Order: sequence, then structure tokens, then C-alpha cells
Amino acid sequence: MAVFASCGEALILGLASGPACIAACGPVLVPSLLIERAGMKPHARYLSVFLAARLLGYLLFAMVAWELGTLASMLPAPRMLMMGAVYVLLAGVLFWYAYSAGRSCAHSCADSKLVSIGENRKRGIAGAAVLGFLTGLNLCPPFIAAGIRAAQLGSMAAALLFFAVFSLGTSVWFVPFISLCRISRNQAMMTVARMAMVIIALYYLALGIAILFGKNVYVY
Amino acid sequence: MSTDARVLPPARPAPRGILRSLLLTLPILIWSLVMFFHPGANTKLLSRIAAAITVLFMTALFFMMMRTRNTYRWRRIFFVSLGVFFPVGFIYNLILMRGSMGIPIEEMIAGRTPFCFMPIPMLILPAALTRTLIFPGSIGSSNHGIAAMVALWLALTLVMGKGWCSYACFFGGIEEGVAAIPQRARIRKIDPRWRYIPWAVLLSMVLLSLALFEPAYCMWLCPFKAVTEYVAARNALGLVQNVIFILLFAGLVIVLPFLTKKRTQCSFFCPFGAFQSIFNKISIFEMKIDMERCKPCLVCQNACPNVSLSKESIARGETLLSCMKCGACVDACPRHAVVWHIKGTEIAWKPERARLMFLYAAWAMAVMFGGSIIAQGIATILHFIG
Repeated sequence: MAVFASCGEALILGLASGPACIAACGPVLVPSLLIERAGMKPHARYLSVFLAARLLGYLLFAMVAWELGTLASMLPAPRMLMMGAVYVLLAGVLFWYAYSAGRSCAHSCADSKLVSIGENRKRGIAGAAVLGFLTGLNLCPPFIAAGIRAAQLGSMAAALLFFAVFSLGTSVWFVPFISLCRISRNQAMMTVARMAMVIIALYYLALGIAILFGKNVYVY
Repeated sequence: MSTDARVLPPARPAPRGILRSLLLTLPILIWSLVMFFHPGANTKLLSRIAAAITVLFMTALFFMMMRTRNTYRWRRIFFVSLGVFFPVGFIYNLILMRGSMGIPIEEMIAGRTPFCFMPIPMLILPAALTRTLIFPGSIGSSNHGIAAMVALWLALTLVMGKGWCSYACFFGGIEEGVAAIPQRARIRKIDPRWRYIPWAVLLSMVLLSLALFEPAYCMWLCPFKAVTEYVAARNALGLVQNVIFILLFAGLVIVLPFLTKKRTQCSFFCPFGAFQSIFNKISIFEMKIDMERCKPCLVCQNACPNVSLSKESIARGETLLSCMKCGACVDACPRHAVVWHIKGTEIAWKPERARLMFLYAAWAMAVMFGGSIIAQGIATILHFIG
């Protein structure tokens, strides 16, 4: 019974946190989706990979944090350090993604594979998976809220289940992103999406470095 | 495209008669007088003098548009004046109220930041999803209130589309003035892919503003922070912000317009301009190219200050979505093939009437919005002289 109650709570928390989740993931998700081929299938595939990798990131973080006993009591300093590191990593991946997308045939050929990061398509890694994993590690406010609640549960398994159901609840909010498949893809759209990706990467890089150096625009 | 031996129209249309031009200018004169001398207007002597100068200035320019049938040249005089007088009045007010151009964090938290239209596209998603206004300004308690600015922008935009960028934006005038200085462009070949950058900046800033809950463009990328209010730098990060503002201003508003004779900030960077382009789809006014007359000499393409004409668009008989309706292409075309056009009518249907209808709307806005800024700038200068 307690498990059901916990799952229900996680689901509601996930559903309630959805807008904050899509806001946090939007800068990564939207340009990378716009780079993919138009059509429902590629978009559904992309979102599935992205969300699965994000869940993996959630669970991995929760597991490590549980083991270290810091799931709820993570001090601000290491938390900021981790956020800074994730932002810098995200920036690097976005740069690489934008570069790789220019070499892929995402909008012009019949191949329905997702854009991959790397030298060529055989050796490359699905960009959606890397971005999903890193956004899963990003300590956004809903994630922290879920972490605090999960830490109060009795076992690691219960905490992981809580995170999994929470992730499912937030994932519902990502479904409308499939509608981006309606936007037609051409060279202009690809270029805009790639440029936006580079700008976002620069922003994250600056933000990450500032956080790592302990600087904040709003705090003097 | 016609290659027949049609008689070319005269190089310049005959000027309109003085009386007729005066008659056409009369509505603008009345509108200007109502705007600046209505009951309740500022009664201080300097403000009255500034208002009178502005009324004369705006009316004279409109008269010249009517008389010469030329739009761009006279609009540019207004627009450059707007770009020059805006910082004068704005900075004076800031120093008067705050003692500095730098905005400290306390002022931002207190919501005392004057609102500008630039962050409008960045406010929409956070407001829709969380009912939160992410701009640190007052919503309606001052002359610069957000609600008033948004309502004014929306009404004008629905009518004029991206015409806002040629008749209302108080930033574009500076670079238009700089672009007018050199005789010839030093850089002539511009990669057309640069035109996509404003869309990329728009997309990224909208998404980042939503993710970080701050007007990302204003925080980091607005070139005009250099001539309005900058972030009061109290640590290294604040210093970096200001260096970015100054570099962007120097590059996009001074150096590149001088080298290219184009409005480079508007054409290749401004996210608000990209957002405004979308409204060109709604606006009933547009530029069209009469293919019966067009001999694709590309004079219009070279004259366009916003890179809104390409060979492909000319072949289609239209401008690109980013057209600011400044009239440069119409005035430059030696065959009068580029015309003002009202959607739903024949291309060659009374283009001068379409021009007049557009100009009445645009100039009424220019008087109301830009005119008051010019008057404020003139009053500031008079204050220092007197």
C-alpha cells in the first residue's frame, strides 16, 4: 500500500513539475529536434531515446547520491559544482552535435536514423541519448524536489522507483514536442537550429564557467 | 519579366503640387498638434518649445514625402534623429532619477527597470506556462509600464508588421545613420546564411529565458545596453557582461554598418526583428515587384538596408519575410517596378494610394512614439543650453 501511495505521490509530483521540466530541457531539446528529419516517427524515436536516457541519468544520480548519503543533504557548494560541470559538458555536447548535424543527412536523405555525434554514423553515439543523459544529471528544481522526497523513503529500491515514476509523470509534458514534426525541414531550418544550438552552447559554457568560479550575476 | 520595348517610366516621378501636398499633410499636422498640445500636456516652456520643434519637424518631413513622392530619404532623417535623440533624453532621465547609467541589482529586484520592447518575445512562454513576468519592470505604474508598451506594440504591429523596425524602433536609427556615412560599401558580398542568425538568436533566447527565468537577451546580448543602461558591474561577471554589450555595439552598430552600408544589427542579429517578421504575414501592407516592369538589374537588392531582397525573391516578385517597409527599394527602382501593395489587390493597383495608406498609419505611429522621444531629447538639449 505504501508503495502505491509513494508511486502516486511521485506521479503527481512529476505531473505538477512538468512545465518546469520542459522549461529546463527546452534549450537542449527544441533545436536538436528541429535538426532531425520531419515526421512523426523520427520525432517519437528521438523523444523516446531522450527520455529513456534522461531517466537513466536520474537513476544513476539517485543511486550514487543514495550510496553517498547525500540525496537530500547535498551541500550548496558541491551541488553548484555539479551544475557547473554539467553545463560545461552540455555546452561541449551541443557544439559537437551542431557540428555533426552539418555532416549528417538529417533532412535530405531517406535514412531515418537519428543524428549521431561523432566522426561517422557507424561509430557515432545517438545525440539524443547523450543530451537526455546530461539533462537527467542537471539539478533542476523539480529534480531536487523529487530527490528530497525520495531520500525520506526507506530503501534505495523505493527511492529509485520513486524517481522512475516521477520521470514518467514529467514525460507526459514532453509529448507535445512531437508536434515539432509538423514544421517542414529545409536548409534554412537546419541552419537556424544549428546556429541556435551553438548560441545555447555558448550560453551554457559561460554559465557553467561562472558557476564553477562561484560567480553569479545576481549576487555580489 | 518583360523584354518588350515598353516605354520606361520617367527616372523620377513628377513632384506633387504644393497645395495638394499641403492638403495631404494636414491630417498629420492635426495629429501632431493633438499629440503634443492636448490638454494635460507638459506646460513647461522648454517642453513646449521642444514639442513645437518636433511638430514642425515631423510635419515638414511628411510634407516632403508627399511633395517628392520619395519615402526613404525623409524617413531616414526622422529615424536617425530618433536614434540620436533617444539616448540623450533617456540617459538624462536615468542620471536624474538614479544618478548613474548603471542599473544596480536592488533596482532590478524592485522592478524599477524601464521596459523596452526587445524582451517581448522572451516574456510570452514564461507568462503562458507559469503566469510569471520575467522582466524586472513595473507592469503599469509608470510611463514605461510593461502593459502599456505591450498593448501599443501589439496594436501597431498588427497593422504595420515589421514596419515597426523602420518607424518606431528607437535603436535602429544609430546604425542607419552610420550606414549612410560612407559613399560606397567596403564589404559587398554578404553570405545569405547570415540572415538566419536573428532567427537563431530568437529561438535560443526564447528557450533560455524560459529555462533560466531571466530575460536572457537583456542580460547578455543587447548591444544597446552600451548607450542606454548597463549592468552596474560589481564583480568580474558584471564586467564581462558590459564588455559583451560594448563589443556588440561597436561591431554591429558602428563598424559593420559603416563597412556594408546595411543595418547589420537589424539584419543579422536582432531577435525582436525576427519575431516582428512573423507579423508581416498578418499586416495588409507589403512590397511587391511588378514583373511586367522589372528588368532584374538588382538595384533594389543593393539599396535594401536590411538584406530583404534576394535574386530568388525578386524572381518571385516579392520581398523576403524580413522586409521592414522602409521604402528604399521603391525609391531606388529605375523602372518603378517595386511598389507599395495592399494584400488582396492587383499588384499594379494604385500603388501610390497603397503608399499613402501605409504612410498615414506609419507616420501617425512615428509622431506618437518616436516624436515624443525626439521631443524629450530636444527638451534635454534645450535644458542644457538654457
